[in-house]
Amino acid sequence: MTQHASPPRDSTGKVPSAGEPPAWRGLMARADVRTLSLLGVLAVLILIGGITKPDEFLDTRNLQLVLTQASVIGVVTVGMTFVITSGGIDLSVGAIVALASVWATTVATQEYGFGGILFTAVIVGVGCGLVNGMLIAYGAMVPFIATLAMLASARGLALQITDGKTQIVTVPSVLDLGERDAYVLGIPPLVMVFAVVTIIGWLILNRTTFGRRTVAVGGNAEAARLAGIDVRRQRLYLYLLSGLCCGIAAFLLIVLSGSGQNTNGNLYELDAIAAAIIGGTLLSGGRGTITGSVLGVLVFTTITNIFALNNLQSDVQQIAKGAIIVAAVLVQRRTASTT
Amino acid sequence: MSELTSRRGLLFGTAAIGAGALLTGCTSNESKDEPAANDQPAADDKPGKQVTIGFAGPQADHGWLNAINDNAKSRAEKYSDVTLEITEGSNDTAQQIGQIETLINKKVDVLVVLPADGKALTQVGLKAMRAGIPVVNLDRIFNTPQAYRCWIGGDNYGMGLNAGHYIGEKLKGKSNARVIELAGLDNLELTKQRTQGFDDALKNYPNIKKVARQAAEFTVESGQAKMAQLLQAQSKFDALWNHDDDQGVGALRAIEQAGRDDFLMVGGAGALSAFQAIKQDDGVLKATVLYPPTMAASAIDLARALGQGKGIGGMAEFEIPASITLYSAVVDKTNVDQYMPTGFK
Amino acid sequence: MASEPPLLTMSGITKSFPGVRALDGVDLDVQAGEVHCLLGQNGAGKSTLIKVLAGAHQPDTGTIHWRGEAVTLRSPIAAMRLGIATIYQELDLVEHLSVAENVHLGHEPTAAGFVVRGKAARASTARLLKRLGHPEIDPARLVGELSAAQQQIVSMARALSHDVRLIVMDEPSAALDPDEVDNLFRIVGDLTADGVAVVYISHRLEEIRRIGDRVTVLKDGRAVAGGLPAKTTPTREVVALMTGRNVEYVFPERPTRDVTAGKPLLEVRGLAREGEFEPLDLTVRPGEIVGLAGLVGSGRSEILETVYGARKPTAGQVLVDGQALRPGSVRAAVRAGLGLAPEERKAQALLMLESVTRNVSVSSMSRFSRGGWIDRTAELRAARAATRELSLRPDNPSVPVRTLSGGNQQKAVLARWLLRGCRVLLLDEPTRGVDVGARAELYAVVRRLADEGLAVLLVSSEVPEVLGLADRVLVLREGRVVHTAPTRELDEHRVLDLVMEGSPAS
Repeated sequence: MTQHASPPRDSTGKVPSAGEPPAWRGLMARADVRTLSLLGVLAVLILIGGITKPDEFLDTRNLQLVLTQASVIGVVTVGMTFVITSGGIDLSVGAIVALASVWATTVATQEYGFGGILFTAVIVGVGCGLVNGMLIAYGAMVPFIATLAMLASARGLALQITDGKTQIVTVPSVLDLGERDAYVLGIPPLVMVFAVVTIIGWLILNRTTFGRRTVAVGGNAEAARLAGIDVRRQRLYLYLLSGLCCGIAAFLLIVLSGSGQNTNGNLYELDAIAAAIIGGTLLSGGRGTITGSVLGVLVFTTITNIFALNNLQSDVQQIAKGAIIVAAVLVQRRTASTT
Repeated sequence: MSELTSRRGLLFGTAAIGAGALLTGCTSNESKDEPAANDQPAADDKPGKQVTIGFAGPQADHGWLNAINDNAKSRAEKYSDVTLEITEGSNDTAQQIGQIETLINKKVDVLVVLPADGKALTQVGLKAMRAGIPVVNLDRIFNTPQAYRCWIGGDNYGMGLNAGHYIGEKLKGKSNARVIELAGLDNLELTKQRTQGFDDALKNYPNIKKVARQAAEFTVESGQAKMAQLLQAQSKFDALWNHDDDQGVGALRAIEQAGRDDFLMVGGAGALSAFQAIKQDDGVLKATVLYPPTMAASAIDLARALGQGKGIGGMAEFEIPASITLYSAVVDKTNVDQYMPTGFK
Repeated sequence: MASEPPLLTMSGITKSFPGVRALDGVDLDVQAGEVHCLLGQNGAGKSTLIKVLAGAHQPDTGTIHWRGEAVTLRSPIAAMRLGIATIYQELDLVEHLSVAENVHLGHEPTAAGFVVRGKAARASTARLLKRLGHPEIDPARLVGELSAAQQQIVSMARALSHDVRLIVMDEPSAALDPDEVDNLFRIVGDLTADGVAVVYISHRLEEIRRIGDRVTVLKDGRAVAGGLPAKTTPTREVVALMTGRNVEYVFPERPTRDVTAGKPLLEVRGLAREGEFEPLDLTVRPGEIVGLAGLVGSGRSEILETVYGARKPTAGQVLVDGQALRPGSVRAAVRAGLGLAPEERKAQALLMLESVTRNVSVSSMSRFSRGGWIDRTAELRAARAATRELSLRPDNPSVPVRTLSGGNQQKAVLARWLLRGCRVLLLDEPTRGVDVGARAELYAVVRRLADEGLAVLLVSSEVPEVLGLADRVLVLREGRVVHTAPTRELDEHRVLDLVMEGSPAS
């Protein structure tokens, strides 16, 4: 059957090349349409926010707030986008953020000050990612199961470290980073980190061999292997990358909340997956977009913001979030199939 | 006071008249050094018959629950005639049922159970009672009084009520006063009860209007996020009630980051960090409403009394009461020193 | 028999799915008591046709007459009520239910309308199994515990549990060994003697010769021949109808120089994989094309993949230019200059969501990247050069590879290895899914690459292809090389004899 599945495309294949054939434009348009439709959603949201709460919503402070709130989950989502693009999944991101945030805020770690906290958060994230990657790449475990196991153990370890207690950060330089005084040209440091991670992520995915290999492994792992790509090593690196993003996110969360708690990062895995998917990354792998993922995060954060400003309660917020996911995916499928 | 106890009485169909008063009398005396509450036991202090108490609680993944375990353990250690069999905490209903059944099979003398989910664990409570093991039900209540010999727990409605009254008194005389509420996890019934109590109290103060409410998730992270949004939404308000001191850490961080200090804040539960902030009195947090984890210590006392067939001191009855609702005291600068030792981390 | 009114007449059946016309005006008539064979290559429309017959698909146009009356087969149940039963290739049994429960699924014998009478079901199942020559199958056993052949019998018992007048069997012999095939044919004989018609689908011509009465051949959704006599139509004619190939392929001229001279580029020494193929020795020199001929299941693809390192050998080694490769490492093979164009292009070679450029460049990214950063202009230029050299159409490497025809997709795979600078090309069924016109061009490309000094190892199940392209041929049977000879010493008959020796067809 599949042999016959593409006769209309065969015809484009036989069109004698006249400059750029329509198929190329179609691909461009599709990529653009996905991003554009998400930008459209964001524009509609901004319109709604601006109409319902003009003073509170259209305000520099609110823009700073929304972007700051998006930073932590945004960094996690960039890592998640790589993993999903490679055809994998990382269910442990929330748990890794929790573990990294508590490990980096124990009394012993805090003695080493700013550097100690940052270093520990990143190392714990990378370490968890390494374990995930080894299990998946060389232990031949299904990503779903391996990262589910990591989710359970990392949360357990986080609980053991904290004993269920909230660890307050007392290092002034860490705390100061979350204050208004640390803003540069009105941009909060957390947002800068988010922007830098996004740009680097975009470059890696779109401009490097690492990104190409990621897409190839996700699009067709067997073909990638037979083309001479070291699929297992690539998988290891991808989970390491996701772990690294979790470590960075954990540090941002420490700065933001001034504490470490074992309940941190609750359901980050679902938020990050949802943002990546509505952004246009294929859950089955082979196509990923950092721009889309970041827009997805911003859509969710903006919704939460608008709802909070309008004093709507969490039940309504959750219903709307579910509806937005369904609507965004449906709109994209429609636009993708009509082009 | 009578309003709240009778409400409990109505709710659970148990004789609770005067119980709140009794326990307040019991626990608000001078305290010394223990992490728990005061030393005065419910039954008399003299060593009696050896009692083995089985204790099953949820996973201590939250400061308050952790304090529950600590209170139970240190209280039991005080008595030479008490052996405490404590299970690994679990949030999984099936697992907790299994743990309690193990305790039943071990034939402990009395059980103290803080269920992960009261309704779901009712059956195992009944089973223990039928096996002749009296059950002290801690805080999260079983479906039927048949499943426990004695219930002791906090008063969520009363928390909201007292927080509302405290804020009401503070804002007395201020016209068009605006109040906001940072609630806990919205899919828990206790959050609804706290909000209901808060709203009912505010009805007594026509000059006050609750202008916003957002629900966090008892976590620092969610407290920071939701509070930041509330601060952006409400450029001016006079008072804030936050349901939970743990998420309050995040809320205070958001307040600090926004550079706001133009209102008063009341917390909930009774964390040590909150007490310290109240004592220092250099921020917005002026008071917190208790949901005392010392109830676990009291539960051990009650269990010991049940095991030894004694009543409690300070009451005329031979038997201990069937239901005890704790009073949600307001702790502010005037009495914070007294409560400081009970604060949990 | 032909004068009787047909049991079933389907005429002008068309059925389209998005993007493909699966059936294009198919006619089929089946007489009571006959075995009517349906032949056709994969994708010819056989599956769609029997699904229409089973009521699982609704035709877009066309009529179906059943015993002279026009009918509409709205659902599988409607077809079953008329007496049409289908035994699918992928058995549709519920593994966790017993034999009797499976046989009576959907029409359980009941008391009071809903209480299943298990005993009655088991008794009637036992009767059916006895009739099918398998009284040893216990009706109470779980289907999941049975062998594939036994499951097939259960599936047949299920068909017979209805009052059936026409049974469709989709490749029923595929999972059976010869004894079981004999039993199957006995059952088919019994059924037709009772006046039941059988529509029999198989790839094995010898089976059709043994039990078939008439043959209908499908190609590209059309019935290219209907009701041919099964026993007497020459094989050559049937194959020609199936493949639509009555012209000989145009193969490129062989070089006049002696390609068997010179040092071997690829050397395989005693390479074996237990259970797949026996120790194998072969050499390929630069400029030489060596062909491996054999039936499906003779171990051809396995050999190629093992040479390439995609499978780990249990013995032996592969040498390129005298250097032994690390066994079981694709990366070592690629580094040494090997390239594989696998049989399943879409599943094993192509990144279907990606452009031609990226499909071509995937194995040589280091050539236009520095420190991991890809120079996309250089990449596009290189991909364009490689695809132009192979005359890949359209002449625009930015189009998605999935929009290409089969032949051009194959060229994209070849371009990948060309760009990589590969020296040994392993081709597994290089013209599968490539239409006849494009084949000649592909053959020319392969020959040209060989002339430029590549060593080519070619696997094909199409004997003419091997003979037309290769300089030397190794004939494989059941994982063993049975003959090696220069192509000029072989012809199609000789190879077919060698390939099928001992099989019932020879």
